[in-house]
Amino acid sequence: MRGAAAFAVALLALVVVAPGVASAQQAPSAQQPAHPGALPPRLANYAWDGDLLRASFSYRDVLDPALMKKLSSGLPMVIAMRAYVYPEGQATPVALAPRVCRVVYDLWDEVYRVHVSEPERERDQAAVLDGVLRICTEARDLAVVRRGLLAAGQPYFLGVVVDVNPVSEGMVEQMRRWMSRPTGSTTIGPADALYGNFVQLFARQIATSDKTLTFRTQSVPL
Amino acid sequence: MRRGPLLLCLGLALAPSVARGQARRTWGATPDPPPPVSTAPPEPPPATMGTPVPGSTALPPAPPVAEMATPIVRTPGAIGLKYTLEGVEVRGNKATRPRVVLRYVPFKAGDVLDVDDPELEQTRFRLLGTGFFRDVQLSLRRGTKRGSVILVVDVVERNTIVVDDVWLGISTDADGNGNQRPLTAYGGARVTETNLAGTGIALGGAFAVADGQLALRARLADPNFLRSSWILETEVLYSAARDFFGNHDVLVDDPSVDPSQSYFPDYAVASYKRFGGRVSAGHDLGVSSQIFLDYRLEKIDASLPLAASDHRGLDVEPIDFMLVRGSSILSAVRASFVNDTRDEPFLPTRGHRLLGSVDASLTPLGTDYPYTKLVLRGAQWFPLSWGHVLKLEGFAGAIFGDAPLFERFYVGDLTDLLPDRALDLAFDRRPAPNFLSTDIVEIRYGNYAAKVDAEYRVPLYRGARSIYGVDLFGSFGFYGLANEQDFYNPARGYKGFATWPIDLTFNAGLRIETQAGGFVFGISNLIGLIPVRGQQQGAVR
Repeated sequence: MRGAAAFAVALLALVVVAPGVASAQQAPSAQQPAHPGALPPRLANYAWDGDLLRASFSYRDVLDPALMKKLSSGLPMVIAMRAYVYPEGQATPVALAPRVCRVVYDLWDEVYRVHVSEPERERDQAAVLDGVLRICTEARDLAVVRRGLLAAGQPYFLGVVVDVNPVSEGMVEQMRRWMSRPTGSTTIGPADALYGNFVQLFARQIATSDKTLTFRTQSVPL
Repeated sequence: MRRGPLLLCLGLALAPSVARGQARRTWGATPDPPPPVSTAPPEPPPATMGTPVPGSTALPPAPPVAEMATPIVRTPGAIGLKYTLEGVEVRGNKATRPRVVLRYVPFKAGDVLDVDDPELEQTRFRLLGTGFFRDVQLSLRRGTKRGSVILVVDVVERNTIVVDDVWLGISTDADGNGNQRPLTAYGGARVTETNLAGTGIALGGAFAVADGQLALRARLADPNFLRSSWILETEVLYSAARDFFGNHDVLVDDPSVDPSQSYFPDYAVASYKRFGGRVSAGHDLGVSSQIFLDYRLEKIDASLPLAASDHRGLDVEPIDFMLVRGSSILSAVRASFVNDTRDEPFLPTRGHRLLGSVDASLTPLGTDYPYTKLVLRGAQWFPLSWGHVLKLEGFAGAIFGDAPLFERFYVGDLTDLLPDRALDLAFDRRPAPNFLSTDIVEIRYGNYAAKVDAEYRVPLYRGARSIYGVDLFGSFGFYGLANEQDFYNPARGYKGFATWPIDLTFNAGLRIETQAGGFVFGISNLIGLIPVRGQQQGAVR
């Protein structure tokens, strides 16, 4: 009994201590990079448009050959880019500039239909492949942040996350529910919860996007 | 900065040929081939608006670039392309028959296909969810007439032989004469070919072994029986099992026991064989719910002591082996319902899982074991703001009538400190650990059971390849197990709280989700081997 009591105390201690331990290891929110300052560097061009900071950078490499091929599948592809503004040396963003490009190849008109959503505007276009790459994998003069939100003398950089075909949270949930169903087993036993049904193995193979690219830009001196 | 003029000159020199090449590749039945992909990060495009930030630009400003194509007027956010579907083409399937793939494609020739239809994406996930394919991609290609297309389903098949369950552990049991032994090993596995000969039918087998015990199962399941939405499953079972009753001081009159052995063995041993089968039909009730109807028929041959008795509290009472001596028949129907909204099956963070079942084994069905069994189980997962997960679970069950012992609620299934049954085999002879010093120690099988417990999980690792996740967990709960007499005639010698047949249970360890399945490494089984005060049956004596 003494051993069991000691174990119970240890278990209680584990439960009490665990939150502190894990908060240090806690996976970051999927919405923003965990350690933006340590992301791979990439050059951007910055310009002040009045008090509005604009940035231009490219993420063409998010489309690998397989995704390039998929671009012409005739079905929609979404390239979603999020540019977070971080003070240098900090991990909390002060602003976010998103850009979503939705493109589908029109099989009979032989042209790509593109819809772009940005903070300032939405537009529909028809383009050839090079145009699609320019429209959907480059941020040109992206409206990033107003000067008033930035502290004078503090350098800032952009932490950028690009997702290709991000699956919506609702879709993820619905599909995971779909996949978590039993495959016909009617067994209802106490040990059921211990081991995964084979269908369960595939839940994690459905990633939240086809590909994710992250990088940071050089600092903007203020 | 000096490369700008050089690139400009080079660009002017090559421009005509590039332009011709693009013109030739852009228009035609197939879209442009992709340009060569560079591994180096691309250069940023030049800024065209505003004043460049000094010292921050990689390239000099450039004049504004004109739009490349004429904007088209469409509903914002929608592509708006619709075609007439000419057919569906399945590619890449070597073992899986096309009709198996087409079961999951809700489109047919003649349909109007909207490229924004969410069913297209769901079709891909449905096919991945079958477990038959490593990858599934959908695409369109031109049909024979303008405006028509063919939906192409490209699949990459995967190994479909999977391990559903693995049991491995140590227990303490008794030999055939009822003499206790310190430690014995047990094990077993359940393996399924989920796509038999490419038909989508699952063929599975399972075994469990321990010293003197063996259980075998063979299962065949068709998730789309006769191309309907019904699941049909059949199972054949065989078991050669034995179970252990009493604790240390039983009285047994068993002609099968060696006369040279003591008539006062540690345990009374019931041996039995089961052979039979089960037919089950299931149906989806929406995305998250399913209902199943089962019928099973078994022949049971039991070899029991002529008589046996054991202490219950201060009294000596005959042992009920819960089996009919000799040959008997079990004929039963079951209806069960499952509602599952978990976000993930093995390491869920939110959602719930509800299970309910009713078993009826009635004399008109030819059974020798008339009983009704009700089971309710529910679990809810809560994501905590700091990334951990809390699970609360409840279970309750009741049996009315004379169910065979393998249908009764077993103490090892309720406490984490004894091995669970596998394929209905009970591997361990020990009673409940009895941390609370109640009369739970007198009960091995019961007609009424309940359990509440909580589990706290700490994610340690998340991956996307062979190991998907590792979580540290700790669980704690209470359970109770009783028969009718425990309510109106508690074991004599127990008083007050001790007459409540309840105990606590706990476990801690790792939950690991891998490509090969989910595994739990808990320390409770080892903890359970440490004797605790009150474990001895009839401790009040």
